[in-house]
Amino acid sequence: MASHHKWGMVVDIDRCTGCQACVMACQAENNIAVNEEVHFLSRRAHQWIRIDRYWDGDTKEKGVVTWPDVKARFIPVLCQHCENAPCEPVCPVYATYHNNQGLNVQVYNRCIGTRYCANNCPYQVRFFNFRDPLWPKSLWNHLNPDVTIRSRGIMEKCTFCIQRIRRAERVVEGQRGEQLDDAKLKAGNWMPACVNACPTDTLIFGDLNDPNSQVSRKSQDPRHYKLLEELGTDPNVVYLKKVDPQHAQHA
Amino acid sequence: MKVSRRDFLKLAGLSTVGAVACNIFPDREFQEQSPLRIPEDMVTGVDNWYATTARGGIETEGLVIRVMEGRAKKVEGNPLFPTNQGAHSMRSEALLQELYHPDRIPSPMRRVGARGSGQWEPITWDDALNTLRDRLSGVSNRNQMLMVTNSMRGSMANLAQSFAQAYGGRSAALDLMHETVAAQVVRDLFGQDRMPVFDIRNSEYVLSFGADFLATWGSPIQFSKGYGHFRQGEGRSRGTLVHVDPRFSLTAANADQWVPIRPGHEGRLALSIAHVIISEGLGSAAAVNAMTGGNRNVLEAYAPERISHELNIPLIHGKSPVDMIKEIAHDLASHGPRSIAIGGGSAGAHTNGYFNLAAIYALNFLVGSVGQQGGVILNPPAPTPEFGAFLNPTTVRDWQGIRNDIAGGAVRLVMVRGADPVHSLAALDFAGAINRDDVFVVSFATVPNDTSHMADLILPERAALEDWGSDVPNIGPGFQVVGIQQPVVNPLPEYDPMGFGDVLLRMAAELGIANKAPLNHVTFADVLKDHARGLQALNRGSVRNASFDAFWNRLLQQGGWWDEGSRGAAPPAAPRLADIVAMARDAVISGPTGGNTFNLLAFPHISLTDGRGANLPWLQSTPDPITSVAWTTWVELNTDTADLLDLKEGDYVNIEGPNGRSFTARVYHHPAAPKDMISVPMGQGHRNAGQYAAGRGANVLEILGLPVEERTGALAWSSTRVRLTPAGRNDSIPKFEGIVPAFQLSEHEAIVKVTNEG
Repeated sequence: MASHHKWGMVVDIDRCTGCQACVMACQAENNIAVNEEVHFLSRRAHQWIRIDRYWDGDTKEKGVVTWPDVKARFIPVLCQHCENAPCEPVCPVYATYHNNQGLNVQVYNRCIGTRYCANNCPYQVRFFNFRDPLWPKSLWNHLNPDVTIRSRGIMEKCTFCIQRIRRAERVVEGQRGEQLDDAKLKAGNWMPACVNACPTDTLIFGDLNDPNSQVSRKSQDPRHYKLLEELGTDPNVVYLKKVDPQHAQHA
Repeated sequence: MKVSRRDFLKLAGLSTVGAVACNIFPDREFQEQSPLRIPEDMVTGVDNWYATTARGGIETEGLVIRVMEGRAKKVEGNPLFPTNQGAHSMRSEALLQELYHPDRIPSPMRRVGARGSGQWEPITWDDALNTLRDRLSGVSNRNQMLMVTNSMRGSMANLAQSFAQAYGGRSAALDLMHETVAAQVVRDLFGQDRMPVFDIRNSEYVLSFGADFLATWGSPIQFSKGYGHFRQGEGRSRGTLVHVDPRFSLTAANADQWVPIRPGHEGRLALSIAHVIISEGLGSAAAVNAMTGGNRNVLEAYAPERISHELNIPLIHGKSPVDMIKEIAHDLASHGPRSIAIGGGSAGAHTNGYFNLAAIYALNFLVGSVGQQGGVILNPPAPTPEFGAFLNPTTVRDWQGIRNDIAGGAVRLVMVRGADPVHSLAALDFAGAINRDDVFVVSFATVPNDTSHMADLILPERAALEDWGSDVPNIGPGFQVVGIQQPVVNPLPEYDPMGFGDVLLRMAAELGIANKAPLNHVTFADVLKDHARGLQALNRGSVRNASFDAFWNRLLQQGGWWDEGSRGAAPPAAPRLADIVAMARDAVISGPTGGNTFNLLAFPHISLTDGRGANLPWLQSTPDPITSVAWTTWVELNTDTADLLDLKEGDYVNIEGPNGRSFTARVYHHPAAPKDMISVPMGQGHRNAGQYAAGRGANVLEILGLPVEERTGALAWSSTRVRLTPAGRNDSIPKFEGIVPAFQLSEHEAIVKVTNEG
């Protein structure tokens, strides 16, 4: 396995509009079963990448923001692929482990469904299959042959579209003998599905070990921060702060 | 062990490959086959990518589709296509589900039960086409045929127009999302038939009124592409977005400043901003002179101090409405040509919508941004008239006439394609109009909809990814673009659809009206090729080749043709403000008055739009970005108002409109909803549109009193007042967010960290 890569992502939330294009692209690429109404009601909807919306603004006594001084803040949240992932050491069967490319990997056929990993994940990005995923038979036709369907009892999560990374490595490094870089990832449609779809270029993916990659450069932006950094999980997903010129007056 | 011939060949094939592979494959290949690798790597097979275009809901997007073993697997944006530049919306993604929809109509069907009973028998295409031909030739007067379509563009529009003309029938296009009022204002102020493009990418200051351009207005993916750069593009400072809208739309949510305003008063605010620019000498002197005719007092009545009290703009962060107006005027003018005023959506959807939008678009002239980089860039017309064909949507005022004609027996044959008038025109009771024994309804549909349910004959149409077509985006990138749609897969063997174009061509031949182009072709693909020859003859743009076959192949590979050297016309003379002032009038908001009445702000759903995506499960399951509600209709009610009315989230309320009709939906507590208004998304309330849409939510269009914009006759969907009464029951709302509302904590603990330094 090529170990010279360290895959990571930068999420510039000042660009994010909350449009949900990434969410749907992920559902399509990764064979995530349709979240039916009942799954929303039972809080078991699966979204490997989700858009969280927070209300922000002046608050009154209940802690509820008041109209009209109210703002909505959007943030895409996906598996943070932590270097010190709290989900990894608690798995009794090593179904989730850290590979040498910075990915937090889930091996479905090892998973026995203890859900310890989901319990330990502070980002709420791991999803347990409480049911076998169901599609009407005709919709099987659009399922991605590169991605396993997860059965009942299995934990699943964002993989950074590892199937695309592997294809890219195989074609560019294995077959062509070239070095994989941003341009080649883009040209082959091998960026993660969410990154490809994003209309505002909020999501930037690439090799953190490559000093020339966009993700390396952007991760040094003065606005950078990591989610729940104080927990020491050391994520490979770096966020860039939202910019709000009015913020100082109303923080 | 019994080894079949097939197994033997497989084993033999494997061993041969293995033997060869030992010699030529690099070591890495073998490492990748290791069982320690996760299984995603184990797929064999070759994928092909085909470029196409589709209008999945709002505006055309150039797409590339991944096809494996004859099945479409994934939609991606076409990086070459100039409008969406590689990105794509969830509406395009869901084209896969239209293709493989479990409710797809497999074969032509004839009604056997009572109309609307849902009883059908499958028939052959020969039977179906003979029936259609007999009906087309059987009407006593050709004017008794009405063809209802979506607002088609490009080659299909050219064909449909030609067919209707040659046959002698009527045609009407249905698209409630179309910006009829904005299009008319653009025609009158900019002298253009196509909408201009707002160069948000290079702009420094964007002031939008009602146009939810990041979600559903205009060309959202193109604008979003520009918006990303506008915010954090390299080598530029961060742009400022101010959004004026009674409703807290997605664009309002992303604005640096949201300015809530009294519905229908957007034009007055625009003139007030213009007043400040003129009276304080902020705008371009030449433009000010031209627009005022030297009379600097033309907008005196719109001085902020005089009219701010009418606008109902609240104190925002302690800033008074007068200060707010002045600040906007200063900011807009200080960025000069790199500032943009956009108007549309709810600002145009009032009885005085034309006045509102004319006043808004005039601001661009005042600050000198028309035709400038970072401003409003005019789009050139389509490169050829065939590709430029456009079925202009019929206005609601005209639909009322058409509906009466049908109900009165003046129409005997209705052909419906790409539209669902029974759902969209529910307030007109279109279903009631076609429910006559002497009206024969033919529906072209891929998946059942409310109109096909009422049809006599259903002709299964090819899905977008199985069909040919072309499109010229209404909001182009500032130069000429033609998107080419090609079939990326064949229909599944169990389906037997036919393209709408192919049916029209066959009918034209059988009716003896196929004597000239485009009707003299056998297939729609031939029509498209013929139109492509016109492009080839131009010998310019992104595809050029002396050989047509080579030109055609390149056109398909690239997903279209564009010419970055083509440009729109020079900007016309600035409008006179006195003319716009003369048009000023109040919005007439009709509906019940008194207690518990609210202004109703209907809005297009981000994924279902006006309802055309409701049968696709991915689009149903897309949470609304702000409320996170999916699969149903909700009523956005201000949190404080809801507390006053003692309405909890999930309480059902009855919403009664001016026509006496009502619907029931659940309340969502919304901290950013104005206190005297409710907002309800369009898109739901289908009765017979397949398993994912039928019987779900409510159709807000049904209760509108159908007020129309005075000058254009377009639906004034913002000019409605409704009565809200609790229905006395409660149910959980299907939504993605947690049960406890999510609020930002202190800066230290915040998930979304905010800075004020761009």
